[in-house]
Amino acid sequence: MFERRLYFHIDWLLIGAVLAICAMGLAMIYSTTGGAGRVYWTQVYALGLGLFAMAVCLLFDYRSLADKSHWLYLAMIAALIGVLFFGSVRGGSRRWIDLGFFNLQPSEFAKATLALMLAKMLGESRRPAVTNNDLLIAAGLTALPLLIIARQPDLGTAVTLLPILLVIAFVAGMPMKYIYAMALVAVLAAPIGYKFALQDYQRERISTFLDPAQDARGAGYQQIQARITVGSGGVWGKGFLKGTQGQLRFLPVAHNDFIFSVLAEEQGLVGVLVALGLYLFVILRALDAARLAKDRLGAYLVLGVLSSFTFQVIYNITMSAGLAPVKGLTLPLMSYGGSSLIATLAGFGLILNVRMRRFTN
Amino acid sequence: MAIAEDRRRLDIRLTVLQVSIAVAFGLLVCGFWFFQVVQHPKFKEMAENNHQRTLTLRAPRGIIYDRTGRLLVENRNSFNISIVRKHTKDIDRTIRVLAQVTGVEEKMVRDIVDRNRREPSYRPIVVLTDATLAQVAAVTARRLDFELPDVIVQEVPTRRYPDQSMAAHLIGYVGEASEDQMASDHVTTGSIVGQFGIERVYNKLLMGEDGARRVVVNSVGREIRSLEELPPVQGRRVQLSINYAMQKAAEDAFHGYGYWGSAIVLEPKTGDVLALTSLPAFDPNAFATGIDRATWNALNTDKLRPLQNRAIQGRYSPGSTFKIVVATAALEEGLITPERQIFCPGGGTFYGRFFQCHKAGGHGYVAMREAIEKSCNTYFYTVGNMLGVDRMHKWSERLGLALKSGIDLPNEVESIVPSTEWKLKRNGERWYPGETISVAIGQGQLSVTPMSMAVMMATVANGGTRVVPRLVTAVDEGKGWQPVEQQPSPFAPFVLKPETLSAVRDGLWLAVNGAGTAGRARIAGRDVAGKTGTAQVISLQGKERARGSKVDLRDHGWFVFMVPKDKPELAGVIFVEHGEHGYYGATIAKHIIQTYFAQRDGLPLPPLPPPPVTSPAPVRAAVVATPVAEGR
Repeated sequence: MFERRLYFHIDWLLIGAVLAICAMGLAMIYSTTGGAGRVYWTQVYALGLGLFAMAVCLLFDYRSLADKSHWLYLAMIAALIGVLFFGSVRGGSRRWIDLGFFNLQPSEFAKATLALMLAKMLGESRRPAVTNNDLLIAAGLTALPLLIIARQPDLGTAVTLLPILLVIAFVAGMPMKYIYAMALVAVLAAPIGYKFALQDYQRERISTFLDPAQDARGAGYQQIQARITVGSGGVWGKGFLKGTQGQLRFLPVAHNDFIFSVLAEEQGLVGVLVALGLYLFVILRALDAARLAKDRLGAYLVLGVLSSFTFQVIYNITMSAGLAPVKGLTLPLMSYGGSSLIATLAGFGLILNVRMRRFTN
Repeated sequence: MAIAEDRRRLDIRLTVLQVSIAVAFGLLVCGFWFFQVVQHPKFKEMAENNHQRTLTLRAPRGIIYDRTGRLLVENRNSFNISIVRKHTKDIDRTIRVLAQVTGVEEKMVRDIVDRNRREPSYRPIVVLTDATLAQVAAVTARRLDFELPDVIVQEVPTRRYPDQSMAAHLIGYVGEASEDQMASDHVTTGSIVGQFGIERVYNKLLMGEDGARRVVVNSVGREIRSLEELPPVQGRRVQLSINYAMQKAAEDAFHGYGYWGSAIVLEPKTGDVLALTSLPAFDPNAFATGIDRATWNALNTDKLRPLQNRAIQGRYSPGSTFKIVVATAALEEGLITPERQIFCPGGGTFYGRFFQCHKAGGHGYVAMREAIEKSCNTYFYTVGNMLGVDRMHKWSERLGLALKSGIDLPNEVESIVPSTEWKLKRNGERWYPGETISVAIGQGQLSVTPMSMAVMMATVANGGTRVVPRLVTAVDEGKGWQPVEQQPSPFAPFVLKPETLSAVRDGLWLAVNGAGTAGRARIAGRDVAGKTGTAQVISLQGKERARGSKVDLRDHGWFVFMVPKDKPELAGVIFVEHGEHGYYGATIAKHIIQTYFAQRDGLPLPPLPPPPVTSPAPVRAAVVATPVAEGR
């Protein structure tokens, strides 16, 4: 099943860029956690596991994977429900399955699974354009894991499932009028949702985002500190291990949600441009894979995986600069987090898979 | 066809995605550029304020010594507990916990924090000064537990006055700078500056320069490392003209005899103040770490007015001591010779009114020396009448009894010796010649400070040179002791005629060593020359009316002196509040003078002599029914 010639179609540039980002992330984790400690080594092991997962995802033809997507989807739903009941609780939410040596976060794997499921469903359809029926089913398939994850509660990860649905539907030919309608509904519903749907702490985060100074010690604190961290870095940065905001813990969870702020502090605008360049390269290169894909299934799969990745990257970096409300969204490939890293690398395995098999039948 | 169209749509929509992503990244780059380049300076400063804490290292104030090198004021270390709001997460909790562990009123801490609300949040607010070791230990333990990351304990040098209230009015006290002082002294909030006495007047010298230490702290306020340290510069050492032994002798004597009052001893040649006391006094240690409200209120409302420096702020009628001025003036003006005899029948009639002498039968014929010795009123009524009030005023000013002495202490009040012009200006009334008669014996509208009295004695002792009393003799600017240059006297020099000097000095010597009232100051071989005086607190009629009230109406007693008579080394004044007459003053002066000579000659310091036996001498009214004696 793995023919030798496929080896030559692996996108080594993409892999190189992904690994470069992972390396920057490791360096920042090293810096913010005070050297090669437990957190650092966990990330190193996760990187190894992630590369293994990537290889596994490369190994099988994505079409045969897609054929089994409904089973994968069911397994994912089962795992998510299992977490709700048996997961371990940390920081007030139930997101992890304790495997003893490792805390697995199934929601991270939900993204690639959902992408596979939706790609299969909409990509294998024989009709040239999606029907309303298709869209409804796709929405339902997305809503199910989304609601379960939101119950953990982990609104951040739950929201990352939405771009998968939207982007796949978009490229699958969803009529533009739906898109306009959705935009309109979003604008109208925002105030109502703000008032009724959100929890107090979520409302607080949003209102302090609009005016951080109103609560400089509470919810606005992280945002102000994020801006100080980024702004004080300047063009050249304070130097590796020399950042004060991250090193002295003025910025909370610096190795996690705010790792990009620390990068900006220690490596300056130069480091930011390098990192942004790498991310942009990775994303555009993956988009290429979608363009080159042999079939719609492949293209949709790539876009599904890529959409949640891109959404998370852009949102997290915006938040790192204190320009978006603080949400528990990590920066894929860079932030500390084993499940996220493994799942992301596995996702890239799927992207590479599509590109690699663009000539096969 | 369908496939191709499908493909085209996919391509278009992919391009839309591509462009949107590129735009998003472009916006991100703009955002980072804005923060990291345009607003970099602002954020850089904010980051520094975050993790750097500048701690003021308070400079120890300069040490103060007496003229013999004995230490009068030094510093000790005390602990201040402060809140740095920069590191506060919840100020209410911090205040509550801090108040609880240190056992102080929560409200007090809150008031202090509220009062300093406007200060920059990185500047520590001192909420507890001079904390006890137990309080320090309690806070430090909590701090390590990360419970009070925003509370710091600082060791600060604090003023210590080892002799407590001794010379308190002279040395003064320190306290937190007021708004005005922050501007005038160029200091910041919370700085300790001199507030009174020498501490205030020589604050610039004594204060030194505060240092600073910049440290790196983490988000929970723990110090990580020191960045730089600017050590404080201690204030200059200052040597006072005060002689500790004499100062102590003066205060011991007052305390020993149970009187309040004031004593000043000058070195006539230089104007050096050898002793200056005002009693009752206060303990400047109470101010050193911030005086508490209760003590402050008690000091301010005390009827005895312990905060008043009687030496330069108390004004009293000079009584018979004024006769020295009258005698000097009359001789210098050439109105009489020292040998001119005047008959005292026990009083005299001037301007249609009879003025009494204190000796019922009269002194008979008296010349200048005997008149001073026996303090003969009739003699001085006559001479004063010849002089007129304006010439008495002129000589008072020349000798230093009128106006201010110019001593380097704040808030000195002017001494008043009336003149026709003064009365016209003050009351809009012309001078009645009859008033001159009572002024001639120091009654009437004279109102002088002990300091001006001391200066007058020094001027007579100097034979005419009026000096400005001074308190600082040497300053160490860091290169060893440098004597303070003697300022040339700002007063027009004049020379008293030798016969004036010898007559006045002889008279004063006789008052102590002859038949005078000041015999209690006599010291064998020391030729003390002096004169007692009585300052009426209230007229005799007033005394009758006030009989039975609780107000102390006993007269004040004066004793002025110079010693030795011919080449005076000391000149001074003892003012005994409600001492009734000059006896106590003379005894106190004797103790100070004996102490001076014993110290000079290297002998053991003398013990305090027993209190004078005051025979219930008939206190006769010197003046009967003068218009001015009615306490207006």
